[in-house]
Amino acid sequence: MLRFAEELMLLILDDENGRFARVPDRLMRYALAGGVLMDLALENRIDTDLEKLILVDSTRVQDSLLDPTLADIAQMDETRDARFWVERTALRADTIREEALNRLVERGILNREEDRFLWVIQGRRYPVIDNTAEREVKLRIMEVLFSDQIPGPRDVVIIGLAHACDIFKEILSARELARVSDRIDQVRKLDLIGQAVSQAITDIELSLALAVQMMP
Amino acid sequence: MEIKTQRENGILIANVNGRVDSANAREFENVLSSAISDDDTCVVVDFGGLSYISSSGLRVILLVAKSLRNRNAEFALCSLSGPIGEVFKISGFDKIISIYDSQAEACAALGG
Repeated sequence: MLRFAEELMLLILDDENGRFARVPDRLMRYALAGGVLMDLALENRIDTDLEKLILVDSTRVQDSLLDPTLADIAQMDETRDARFWVERTALRADTIREEALNRLVERGILNREEDRFLWVIQGRRYPVIDNTAEREVKLRIMEVLFSDQIPGPRDVVIIGLAHACDIFKEILSARELARVSDRIDQVRKLDLIGQAVSQAITDIELSLALAVQMMP
Repeated sequence: MEIKTQRENGILIANVNGRVDSANAREFENVLSSAISDDDTCVVVDFGGLSYISSSGLRVILLVAKSLRNRNAEFALCSLSGPIGEVFKISGFDKIISIYDSQAEACAALGG
């Protein structure tokens, strides 16, 4: 099973050209952080309530995507809330993103190609070799959004993360998005870490908007 | 955590007492799932004695609700105290799962 960070990278990947959709970096950072925390929660290493994120078990998951964050939580003296950990883990987002991509390449799901011009690397592309996992993630999301079924915990997380990095406008038509936007809001709230990711993003967007307004 | 179950007028009622968190969420899921038989078409979980629920506990409720919905069985929660009710409201569970003030109301709504 893929980790949420890996699923998120597949969601923002354009199958046609192997490039990633233009998702604002700050949104992607929080979403990747949320994905790692949610994987730790589903591995029963952490738990949350409305006020705090609790370390349940500091035993390593033996997973390079998750263990650095678990170690960070384990070494913290005081208990903090989920929002704190989303922001703190987001500082490691570049490493999480690279690790997720490396694993997708190692699993044979993506290929890594470097665009060169005069021997200088201009950028990277990740053409899809095996689209089974990507189709499965998208199918899971669509099944929940276009029905009134009760979502499973993994469905709730991936829908929350996709919403957090504003990717639905890339994978749904405008008409589809209008049809399911209430449903997205309904499902994404069902997880407290997902809510912390959304809140962190909302707050930073507000700060940015205020900063712009205050500029001379 | 303690769960006591009984059947009344064709409704399986599970009374949950104590805390549900990561320490016992798996046990909560196992006990609840084992108590629900394939023949049960109406299930009420009474949280009147619940003092705390974490995300792990909420996930169990989601899984049980999903499993029952998939086989067209009815599911409801009842008797949530103030703080517990707040958790279910903030997390939006009240929008996807029926929640009643009392066990009597829940049973009446489910046709018992």
